[in-house]
Amino acid sequence: MADTINQTTRKGFLVDTSRCIGCRSCQVACKQWNKLDADKTANKGTFENPRDLTPALYNRIRFIEKETSGEMTWQFFNERCMHCGDAGCMKVCPSPGALYRTKDGIVAFNKDKCISCKYCVSACPFNIPRYGTDDKVSKCHLCTDRISGGMTPACAKACPTETLKYGKRSDLIAKATAAKKTLYGVDDLLGLGVVYALEGPPEQYGLPAKPGIPMSIFLWKDVIKPLGILGFWGSIGAMLLHYVTIGPKKVDDDLNVKEDGHE
Amino acid sequence: MTNHWIDFKNSDVILIMGANPAENHPVSFRWIMKAKDAGAKVICVDPRFTRSAAKSNLYAPLRSGTDIAFLGGLINYILQNKLYFEQYVRDYTNSAYLVSGDFKLPGELAGLFSGYDPKKRSYDTKSWSFQKNADESIKKDPTMQDPNCVFQLLKKHYGRYTPELVSKTTGTPKEKLLEVYKLYASTGKPDKAGTSLYAMGWTQHTVGTQNIRAMSIIQLLLGNMGVAGGGINALRGESNVQGSTDHGLLFHILPGYMPVPLADLKDTAAYIEKHTPKSKDPQSANWWGNRNKYLVSYMKAIYGAKATKENDFGYAWLPKLDPGMNASWLMIFDNMIKGKFKGFFAWGQNPACSGSNSTKVRNALTKLDWMVTTNLFDNETASFWKGPGMDPASVKTEVFFLPAAASFEKEGSISNSGRWAQWRTAAVKPLGQSKPDAEIIHELFQKLKALYAKEGGALPEQLTNLTWNYGFKRADGTIKSIDIHAVAKEINGYFLEDVEDRPKPLKPGEKAPPPPPPGTPKKMLGKKGELVGGFAQLQADGSTSCGSWIYCQSYNEKGNMMARRGKKDPTGLGMFPEWAWCWPVNRRIIYNRASCDPAGKPYNLKKSVVYWNPAAVQPTGALGAWVGDVPDGPWPPMADEKEGKKPFIMRADGVAAIFGPGLKDGPFPEHYEPVECPVPENFFSKQMSNPASKIFKDANIKEDVLSTCDVRFPLVATTYRVTEHWQTGVMTRNTPWLLELQPRQFCEISVELAKEKNIGNGDLVEVSSARGKIEAVAMVTPRMKPFKIGDMTVHEVGLPWCFGWHTPGVGDAANLLTPTAGDANTMIPETKAFMVGIARKG
Amino acid sequence: MSNYIERFSTSERVLHWIVTASFFTLLLTGLGLYSTLFNGYFSLFGGGRNAILIHKISGVLFFLSSLYMFFNHQKDVTGFDQDDKKWVTERGGYLSRNASHFNIGKYNPGQKLFAIFIAAATLVLGVTGLFIWAPTMFPRWIVQLSLMAHGLMFVCSIMFVVVHVYLATIGNPGTIEAMLYGNVRSLWARKHHPKWYREVTGEKP
Repeated sequence: MADTINQTTRKGFLVDTSRCIGCRSCQVACKQWNKLDADKTANKGTFENPRDLTPALYNRIRFIEKETSGEMTWQFFNERCMHCGDAGCMKVCPSPGALYRTKDGIVAFNKDKCISCKYCVSACPFNIPRYGTDDKVSKCHLCTDRISGGMTPACAKACPTETLKYGKRSDLIAKATAAKKTLYGVDDLLGLGVVYALEGPPEQYGLPAKPGIPMSIFLWKDVIKPLGILGFWGSIGAMLLHYVTIGPKKVDDDLNVKEDGHE
Repeated sequence: MTNHWIDFKNSDVILIMGANPAENHPVSFRWIMKAKDAGAKVICVDPRFTRSAAKSNLYAPLRSGTDIAFLGGLINYILQNKLYFEQYVRDYTNSAYLVSGDFKLPGELAGLFSGYDPKKRSYDTKSWSFQKNADESIKKDPTMQDPNCVFQLLKKHYGRYTPELVSKTTGTPKEKLLEVYKLYASTGKPDKAGTSLYAMGWTQHTVGTQNIRAMSIIQLLLGNMGVAGGGINALRGESNVQGSTDHGLLFHILPGYMPVPLADLKDTAAYIEKHTPKSKDPQSANWWGNRNKYLVSYMKAIYGAKATKENDFGYAWLPKLDPGMNASWLMIFDNMIKGKFKGFFAWGQNPACSGSNSTKVRNALTKLDWMVTTNLFDNETASFWKGPGMDPASVKTEVFFLPAAASFEKEGSISNSGRWAQWRTAAVKPLGQSKPDAEIIHELFQKLKALYAKEGGALPEQLTNLTWNYGFKRADGTIKSIDIHAVAKEINGYFLEDVEDRPKPLKPGEKAPPPPPPGTPKKMLGKKGELVGGFAQLQADGSTSCGSWIYCQSYNEKGNMMARRGKKDPTGLGMFPEWAWCWPVNRRIIYNRASCDPAGKPYNLKKSVVYWNPAAVQPTGALGAWVGDVPDGPWPPMADEKEGKKPFIMRADGVAAIFGPGLKDGPFPEHYEPVECPVPENFFSKQMSNPASKIFKDANIKEDVLSTCDVRFPLVATTYRVTEHWQTGVMTRNTPWLLELQPRQFCEISVELAKEKNIGNGDLVEVSSARGKIEAVAMVTPRMKPFKIGDMTVHEVGLPWCFGWHTPGVGDAANLLTPTAGDANTMIPETKAFMVGIARKG
Repeated sequence: MSNYIERFSTSERVLHWIVTASFFTLLLTGLGLYSTLFNGYFSLFGGGRNAILIHKISGVLFFLSSLYMFFNHQKDVTGFDQDDKKWVTERGGYLSRNASHFNIGKYNPGQKLFAIFIAAATLVLGVTGLFIWAPTMFPRWIVQLSLMAHGLMFVCSIMFVVVHVYLATIGNPGTIEAMLYGNVRSLWARKHHPKWYREVTGEKP
C-alpha cells in the first residue's frame, strides 16, 4: 500500500529538459542552501562532474552527448529524487518518520530517525538515496525547509532558464500538456513528484521507460510480508489445533513396559 | 550593448557568434529561451559545439579567426539576393555617400586598402574620405548607383566573398553557410529583428574591431539597429566591466568615452577643436558637438574650485599621452619586461594567468622593484616569484598584498552590459582586514598627499588638486571613510553656480521672442549646490561639474535613480524604465529613432520602441512628442525638414556608417588570417595577416615568438571560459563547490585528432605552442570536428583559461600558449586563434 | 539397563542453545525491520540502529553456529532409509490419534528435513544478509533479490521453528529433556527412535 497522497494539492517540479543549458546552478545552489560539502572530483574527459549523486550532491546534471548521422546533440538532464507518489523508499523504510511525505506530497527525510538499514537504496526505482559517512540517508527533499517558508526550492530559484519549475503539480502538468510537451512520470508510481518534459525516449536520458518499484521489492513488501505474518500465526494456530484435536504423542500412551523403581 | 539583456526576448533570429552565452552568460539564456518560446530561431556559429550550440536551432562550425570571411559572405548574400531593408539603408546609413575617387579596395590592391605604408604598418586614410560639395557637405547619390558610392563599393568589396571561397576559408560546409545566411537575412524585413550576441570570441583577434564592424554593416543592411530585439550586443565578461570602461578604465579614454588628451593638444580649446566633430547638415544633431561641456564639467568635478577659467580648468594637469603612444595592456608588459617600470599595481586582476603569453608577463614582473596586488585571494600574480620556473632568491620584486572586499561586501553601483547601472547595498561586512577598493584607494590617496606635503616631488598638482569630496571632512581636511553616495553624486554632477535656462541661440532668419515683462523671475536650470538633472544641462563655462557625462541623471535631485526598483513595463518589451537606471538618460535601446520610418511610424508596430505622436502636447506647449523609450533626442523625426533630426545622433552626419573611415585597418572589414594560422596562404588575397596590427618582434624579448605553418604546431587553438569558473578562476578556484564541477585544465579535441595522435578520452596530454606548454586532460568529443580548409584537414583544439598553478592539481594557465599580438585598433591580444601541438603524456 | 540414555552431549546442547539464542535475538531484532507493525521491538534494544547492530552480530553468530551444528550432525541427518520413507508416507503418525510405530533411528525424517532446511536457510539468510549489510557494495539487483529472499527465508524459518518448538515440547512430551539435560528416558527413546535405541543399547528387536 502506498502512503496517502493528495493529488489535488500535491506540489512538484516540472523539468523541461529542452530549456536546460547545463549551467549547473542547480547543483551549486543546492549545496549552498543545504550546506553540503564539496565533493572531490577529477576530470575524466567530460564536463559531467561529479559522475554520480553523492551524499553531498542531491541533484546533478547528466551531460548526454550524441551524434546521429552527422547531427550533434548535447542534452542536459537534471537527475534527482523523483518524489514518487508510490515511493519505494517509503514502502521499505522500517523506521517511521525517517522517510516521510510532507503535506505537499514531497518525500522528505529525517536523519534523526534514520536507522541506517539502507533498504531505501535498493527499493528506489531510480537509484537515488545515498549514505554518507554519517551512515544516514540523504537525497533531494525539494528544500522542504524553504517551501515551508513560502520560498521556491534552491535549485529552481537559481535556474536561469526556468528548466526547473516548482509549483502545484497539476498546474505544471496542465501547462506542459497544453504546450504539447512529451511528459514523463505523470501517472507512473501514482505520479512522480518530478515530472519531465523530454526531447526523446526516456532511455536516452538513462530513465526506465516504465518506472516501477523493483519486482523483488514488491514481492517482499506486498506479498511475503503479509503472507509471512499470516503464515506465522497460521503455524502457531495449526500447532494449537493439533494439540487440541490430535494431541501430543505421550510416551506412556502406548508403551506398557513396566519400568518402575526409578523415578 | 545597444540594446539590453531582456530585449533578447523580442528577437526573431538570434545570432550567437563569438560568444557562448549558455556557458558564460547563463542568465541571458532566460531571455533567449523566451524568444524561442515566441518562435524565434537561434543560430550558433562556433568552432566548438558548445552548450549554446546545444540549444540553438542551427549550428555552423567555423575555424577560429575567420569570422570576417563568414560575415563578409553574409553581406554578399544579402546584397546579391536584395534582402536588405532598402529604405533604412538609404535614409539612415551613409550608403549613398560618394567616396573619394582615389579610394581602392583590397580586391584591387592585393589585400590592402589604398594608402598603406608598410614601414609604419599603418594607413594614410586620406583616400578613404568622402567627396565634398563646394559648401563642404558630402556628395551623395540617393539612387545608390554611382560606382563610387558606399553601397556600390560595399557590393564590389564583398562580391569577392562567395560561398565557395568563404567555405574554403572558414571550413564551414557550404550548405550550412547558406542555411545560416538565409535564416539571418530573413530579418531584413521591416517587422523582423535579428540580434547579434558577441563577446571575446570576436574581439580577441588581430581583426577584432573589424569583426564587429562587419556585423554592424549586416545589422544596418537589415535595419536591425535601434529596434527591439535587434542591435549589436557585446556580452560583457565581468559584472561591471561596462561600468569600468564607462568611467575611463582604459588608457585612451576619460570617463564618458572622451579621448585622453595627447601632449600636442596644449589647451582645452585645442582639445575641443580636435575632438569636436562638425556638421553642416541641419538635420544632424551631432551630439558630440557638446564635447566642450563634458570636458569642462569633468575637470570641474575632479579639480573643483582649483579648476578656473584662468588656469584652463586644470587641463594642464590631466594626464596626457604622447602622440602615437600606446599604453594598452600588451604595451604595459612589453615595457615592463624592458625594465621601464619600477612599480605596478595589479588591482583586481591576475595578469600572470590572464595576460596573453603569460610567460612574458611573469618574467616582466621580475623586472619590477615593487608590486602591489589587491585581490580577494592569493593568486598566480601575487605569488609569481615562487611560481613554476622562478627562483625566489633571485627575484628582487617586493610584493605587497592588499586584501580586498568582495562585491557583496560593499555598496555601490554595477553597470551591466545593457548599460543598466544598478545600485547594490552591502550584504555582509568585509572579512578580516579586507576593505572595499574605494577605501584602499582613499587611504592611498591620503598617504600620497601627506607624502607630497612632507617631501614634495614631481607633478604634485595632479594629485593634490583633486577635490576628493567623498565624505565628512575632519578639521584637518582628511576624510575618515568614503561615502560611496558622494562619489556617485560627483559622477552625476552638481550645479556649481546658479545656472539660468537661456533660450537656444536663434537660427538665421528666426525672430527673437518678445522679451519677458520686467520683474519676471529668471527661469533657472538649477541652483548652486543642486545635483544636475541630466547632461543636457551641463555647461562649458565651469558652472557645472560632472564626473562622467553619460552618467549625468543617475543620481540627481529626484534621488538615486540607480537604486530604483520599479517593475512597470508599459511597452511590454521588457524595458522596465523604472528599474535602476541606464545610460544615456535612461534610454534602454539606443538609436531607437531608427526603429521608425522618417515620419516617426514604427517599422514594427507590434514591437514599437518609440513612435512620434504629432498630437502630443509638450510641457513647453509645442506639439508632437516621442512616446515609449527615452528617444535619442526630443526633436521630431527627420521627415520634418525644419526641426527633424536624423537618428544616429552620435555620428557627426546623423547616419550610421556602413563605410567607416575611422578605423586604422580599413573602412570595410577584410578577411586576414590570424598572426598564427594553419594555412600557407590567405585565399582572399596575398596579404596574410592584418597589415595594421601590432607585431611584437624585439629580438631581445625571447618570449615573443610566432609560428605560422610550423609542423610542430599544426593545430588551431582557441581559449575560452566555462560556466563553472570566472576569468582566471581566482574566485572560483577558491570556491570548492565550483572546483568540484570543473576540477582541472582540459583540452577539447576531436575524435579524429585523438585517433591520429593516439590519445584516449581522459588521457593526460601536453599542449605546446612556440611560447610554452601546459598539461591538460584530453576531452575527446564529437563536439569538435576537423575543418576542411582548401585541400587541407585542419584540426582545432579548445582550452579554458581559468586555471593556474596556484591551485594545486588544476594545471597551469592556457595563456602560457597564447601570442603577444594586438588588434590594430584596440590592441586587444589575439588569444582566440593561435597554433599549438599536442602529444599524449606518459 | 539405565532408565536414561544420553542423546546430546554437553557441547552439542550448548551449541544448540547458542543457535537458539541467536535465532531468537535475530527474530526480535529483525521484527522491526520486517515490518513497521513491529517497530516497538526496536525499543527492546534501544532503537533501530542498535537493533540492526545486534542483528548483524547475532547473524554472524547464528550463521557460524547453525552451520557448525549442521555439520556436526551431518552424518545423522542426511541419510534416508526405507523406514524413513514409511514415516514420511504416514506423516510420522502425527495426523492420527492412534499410536503408530516406525523403525526410526536417532532422527526421524521430519527432524532430518528440519535440520537440512535450517542449514539451507542459514546459508541463504547469511549470504543475503551479507548483501543487505552493505547494499552499496553490490549490484542493486542482487541486493533487491536478497531482501526478498531474506524475508522469504525468515518466514519459512519461523514457521518451521514454530513446528519444531511445538513438537519438541508439548507435542512430544519428554523430547525437550534431551536438550535440557542431555538424557532421554529409555521409554521415550524406544517409542520415538527405536532403531537408535537398539543401536545405543545393543538390544535385539
